[in-house]
Amino acid sequence: MPESVIAFDGVWKKFRRGEHHDSLRDLIPALVRQFAKRREPTLEADEFWVLRNVSFEVRPGQTLGIIGPNGAGKSTALKLLTRIMKPTRGTARVQGRVGALIELAAGFHPDLTGRENIFLQGAIMGMKRDAIRRRFDEIVEFAGIPDFIDTPVKRYSSGMNARLGFAIAAHVDPDVLLIDEVLAVGDFSFQQKCYERLESFRRDGIPIAFVSHNMQAIASLCEQVLLLRPGQEPVLGGVNAVLAEYVSSKGSLADARVTVLEATLRHRDTGAALAGPIPPCAELQLDLELRAEANLPRCGVMLNIMRADGLVIFTGMSTLDGLSESHLQTGDHLTARIVFSANLLRGTYTVNIQLIDTLRQWPAVIIGGVGSFVVAETTRIAGCAEVLPLYEVAVARAVRSGAKVTL
Amino acid sequence: MKQLIADCREMFVEQAQYRELLYEMTRRDLLIRYKQTIMGFGWAVFMPLVNTAVFSVIFTRVAPIETQVPYPLFAFCGLLAWNFSASTFRASVGSLTSNAALVTKVFFPRELFPFSAMLVALVDLAVGSTVLIALMAWFRVPPSPYIVLLPVVVVIHVVFTMAVSLFVAMANLFYRDVKYIFEVVVTLWMFATSVLYPVTSLGGRLGTLLRLNPMTPIIDGYRDVLFGGKPPDWLSLGAAALLSFAVLFAAWLQFHRSEFEFAERI
Repeated sequence: MPESVIAFDGVWKKFRRGEHHDSLRDLIPALVRQFAKRREPTLEADEFWVLRNVSFEVRPGQTLGIIGPNGAGKSTALKLLTRIMKPTRGTARVQGRVGALIELAAGFHPDLTGRENIFLQGAIMGMKRDAIRRRFDEIVEFAGIPDFIDTPVKRYSSGMNARLGFAIAAHVDPDVLLIDEVLAVGDFSFQQKCYERLESFRRDGIPIAFVSHNMQAIASLCEQVLLLRPGQEPVLGGVNAVLAEYVSSKGSLADARVTVLEATLRHRDTGAALAGPIPPCAELQLDLELRAEANLPRCGVMLNIMRADGLVIFTGMSTLDGLSESHLQTGDHLTARIVFSANLLRGTYTVNIQLIDTLRQWPAVIIGGVGSFVVAETTRIAGCAEVLPLYEVAVARAVRSGAKVTL
Repeated sequence: MKQLIADCREMFVEQAQYRELLYEMTRRDLLIRYKQTIMGFGWAVFMPLVNTAVFSVIFTRVAPIETQVPYPLFAFCGLLAWNFSASTFRASVGSLTSNAALVTKVFFPRELFPFSAMLVALVDLAVGSTVLIALMAWFRVPPSPYIVLLPVVVVIHVVFTMAVSLFVAMANLFYRDVKYIFEVVVTLWMFATSVLYPVTSLGGRLGTLLRLNPMTPIIDGYRDVLFGGKPPDWLSLGAAALLSFAVLFAAWLQFHRSEFEFAERI
């Protein structure tokens, strides 16, 4: 049997802005246009590339994360893989039976019961009737709705609906898996169950392409990440490098009122610029040099550290820590050195700087994403802060009266 | 040519792969028929019976016409066969656009929408034919020996219906006008077919025009083999068959080839 694989080979896909000629009235002029002008492989006025020259390959046991802002073409990439659409150029290839965790309840009919919908949705996802019958109890068990299996799904809560959809999809037994941001369904314990299920697919050596905005999920599930951005070249690489690029590019608001001359994250002890992941509790130092291109009175320097999934780790300001404010005039240079300890657990973090007008309490200048760093650590179970616990555990045996010593 | 063979192969392989889904979708539509209705399958025969009653009054009292068998039998047989096509067309024309969530998100051969609509109508046809048998018994019309040819007529009828429904489903996805135009077309088409009265006797230019309608030889074919006591008119039925298969081939191929555009254009 050929190895199951998900691959894009130089894929280009163009879309059209606005409507196609949707009624017969518009057909005639469209036909005339098409006749007058032979079809060209280039862009016409109202067309744009949603994917430009995207290539990747996911082999058994690998997981590819696909990230990017809305409208970057993430879902389109999955649609090309499921053969719902065809690429304009290049080839999208999937070897093996596709399991698609996309729009999980699309085939549900509200008037049918949970039981009937399992058979319908299972068939839509390509399951054989026998296979559904065999795994029926597992599906119901996974969805956690045994009492409502003979209730029409129109009476289900939206959470129950989504759970049943995921449960069916999770039992398709695919060779390859495509996932589009569907894990955010159900309550916390159900989400845990979904991630465990994905882990088990991964352990079984199923190649997975995983679209998500949840950077923590991407960071924990994927080795390889594809970053798509509208109108830009795609970036493919290791998870830490690409996540760092994504979060720093997200905040980079170029502000004309300052020019950033230097922004470097270093190890405090050696002074060497950061390269690669750091251990928890490393002492870091940010060196910053700016030239003011406008008058910026009463400035305080604000430090903000964010995790890749948007969690704010820290926000603080120089003036609140007792430093006096700076008055900048056009052409002045501002140098700042901020030393801090990254008492953090594994993850990708960005450092943002803002110059705040202390009187108006309003950011004068936002300099997003001046640096980013990755903390690597595998000893903690979950969380974001390293609190360095010291455990002292002792056992004092209870006196058991009447205990007999048997030999 | 190579592309053509590859496409045809793919069309059949997909149908084989997804035959269980076709079954499930048909089952779904039939199940829904039962849910929260009292009559259930009764509706499959109710409308043709009402129409038969109405037109029996018109064509036996108001404007009597001559038919070979008692008029209610003539009309019910015609309406039953016509309803199979008409309800398939009506269900197919909006089948892609009303399932936009599936069309844009999940891959499976989209032919299944019109095909399952046709299977549902086929079940209705089977249910309705029990009433037809009852009517034949009531009017003491014995089945003709040519009834062995019934499957031939059914196959031609099914092929023609499939062809038209694939075409209208696809056309409506690209141009929503189709649904409205086709509603009118279906109504007019019934009166241009020998559903309620024989149209073959018509002469002149209108008669020539009506003879191009493949539904007439098909419906006449049903009457001929069921109780006409004669073989169907092979020339016109043969022409209808030829046309049906040709149109089915063209419509299906075109449907299959534009399938990947559906998600973008819906």
